[in-house]
Amino acid sequence: MADAAPDFAIQVESVSKSYRLWGRRSQFATLKSALLKRDLKLDPDASVAALRNVSFTIDRGEAFGIIGRNGSGKSTMLKLISGILKPTSGTVAVNGRIAALIELGAGFHPEITGRENIYINGIMLGLSRREIEQRFDKIVEFSGIAEFLDQPVKTYSSGMYVRLGFAVAVHVDPDILLIDEVLSVGDEEFSARCIAKIQEMKYRGVTLVFVTHQLDQVRNLCDRAVWLDRGQLEAIGDPMRVVDAYLQEVSGTSLAEPPVEAAPEETPAPPPRDEEERWGSGEVLIKRVSLTDEEGRELVALGAGTPVTIDIDVEARAPQDDFVFGLGLYHADGTCVYGTNTDLEGYASQRLDGNARVRFVMPSLDLVAGTYRLDVAVHTRNGRSFDYRRNVVRIVVGSRVHDVGVYRPKHEWKFDGAIAFKAVDPHRANVPAPIAEAIREVEGDSSPQPLRPRRKR
Amino acid sequence: MNDLAVLFRHRQLIAALTARDLKARYRGSILGFFWSLANPLLLLAVYTLVFTRFFPNSIEAYPLFLFAGILPWTFFSASILESTTSISANAGLIKKVMFPAEALPLVVVLSHLVHFALAIPILLAAIVAFAALGKFTISATILLAPLLMLLQTIFIAGVALIVSSASVLFRDLRDIIANLMQLGFFVTPIIYQISTVPSRPLRALLRLNPMTPFVVSYQKIFFERALPNLSDSVLMLVYAAASLLLGFFVFDRLRDTLAEAI
Repeated sequence: MADAAPDFAIQVESVSKSYRLWGRRSQFATLKSALLKRDLKLDPDASVAALRNVSFTIDRGEAFGIIGRNGSGKSTMLKLISGILKPTSGTVAVNGRIAALIELGAGFHPEITGRENIYINGIMLGLSRREIEQRFDKIVEFSGIAEFLDQPVKTYSSGMYVRLGFAVAVHVDPDILLIDEVLSVGDEEFSARCIAKIQEMKYRGVTLVFVTHQLDQVRNLCDRAVWLDRGQLEAIGDPMRVVDAYLQEVSGTSLAEPPVEAAPEETPAPPPRDEEERWGSGEVLIKRVSLTDEEGRELVALGAGTPVTIDIDVEARAPQDDFVFGLGLYHADGTCVYGTNTDLEGYASQRLDGNARVRFVMPSLDLVAGTYRLDVAVHTRNGRSFDYRRNVVRIVVGSRVHDVGVYRPKHEWKFDGAIAFKAVDPHRANVPAPIAEAIREVEGDSSPQPLRPRRKR
Repeated sequence: MNDLAVLFRHRQLIAALTARDLKARYRGSILGFFWSLANPLLLLAVYTLVFTRFFPNSIEAYPLFLFAGILPWTFFSASILESTTSISANAGLIKKVMFPAEALPLVVVLSHLVHFALAIPILLAAIVAFAALGKFTISATILLAPLLMLLQTIFIAGVALIVSSASVLFRDLRDIIANLMQLGFFVTPIIYQISTVPSRPLRALLRLNPMTPFVVSYQKIFFERALPNLSDSVLMLVYAAASLLLGFFVFDRLRDTLAEAI
């Protein structure tokens, strides 16, 4: 696959894409204002670059991952490849029939039956009526909703909706399949089936392009990966290395990034899906949330198993006697990892006035590598929010051990009896990111990131 | 005509979407297709009452005259009004699927064409009834109806392409058009004959209305048992061709902004 085959599946050449910004004026003009004010302004006030001069080629049969932060241009890239959007400059050349799993069941009409929707969705994805008839039974079987086939789609649960959408899309027999974060939907059993189907397609030589935050999927399924950052190509190549470089970088820059109060929106449009949300009365404000190590140094580059403290700076505009501090830690897929508050743990509030700092000290952060998000809130005992900050900090936990799950209990392996291991590979041991970097330096592993000089261990 | 080739390639899609539109509309309502007829029938009843009882006029078999004009007008006004929302109502398709956006207004027009076609048997039944009463005679000119419908559909499709894409950028276009349609009903010779308008400049003005030759021609073939005027025929051809060309021109210019602007 690595040999430079002359025929590509997708060729992206110096592609840039700008979205328009419409400034202070409302985004949608009205004809009335256009006529009254003679202000028929169809040109935007400014534009924001979602992609800047990106080039890469995807070979036929390759599984290709696109990773990057929210707002880095991943989905835009997928939409350009699929032809939904047109590049502002540069060219995208595609060789073969594309099916895009950007939103499953996007074309379903709620009032008509599942059966009829299969036909219409199939035609939208480029099949002819006869081709759909040939595949109809397979589609129904894969979706597993045969008994509801003649019910209107509006009666379906969202899970059934997604199943049917996925079933149609994968039976289009595309040459190229674009997948945008859709593998995380559906129940366990169905998503396992989806992964199996995708692997089967890969085996059959279908070119796959993923956009995902599930870095495991990139590592497991992809032959190559590209990392986009703020619309620019940051690294491309072996998925392990690209993912690793991405994790390092995310931890590195997020030192300064997440906790800053009223941080200017740095990421270009489209707006990130998990952007911070904030609500509450404002009588008590959470001014700043940051992660620090034992010595009070701010960090987000977290190695699994290291000590971490969450510092919460608050300010009460008026004295309060009823207040509860709470926090919730979520996995990137939305699973709540842990949540607690001072009330649950028996702290009866007495007085809060002016500035204060709340610290949540964890002697060891026993999480598996991945991206997590933190919600921090201060509210009254009956739940009225003073200030609720959802996704206030994004936590990236790095680890060189590719264990899976969310929680990593403290553990070690012990062996008794007639059992022997040749060696324990220290390079795969669970070490914090800075040490991992040092190890790599010793190994002479050339990372796409320039290595800072560092003393050898 | 590259645009027409694209449409031809997507003919199955357009047909399937039109069928979906009709099915979705008629499902879940007992009277189904009757509802698409209710509005023209009601108009017919009201205006027949007003202009045969309150203000009697000289037109014989007035309900037939009225019916022949109301049906093509309803086809036009309902198609255009609905196509203003055709794209924004299907934002998911435009943003998430590779999808020929021009199919959406065309599907609206085609499904209203089906409504129109389904109403014609009712008009024919009325004609037969009047003929049986000896108040009317049937003429072979009725056979020209499909040709008129073809021209009118092309004309409407062009206008629908323009308003559907423009209303993504101008959100108030729908309201403007809804009001224009109310006005349009009266400046098109539907409830009266253009020859009975006393003022000469007003008559000239009515002739500028692009819907006038279509409505007048339908009245000719169904009601007056005559062929359409030559001038009206030329006008219909010109309007249909110009509308379609302009429609594709505008739509092509706005096409790339649709996925972003919705």
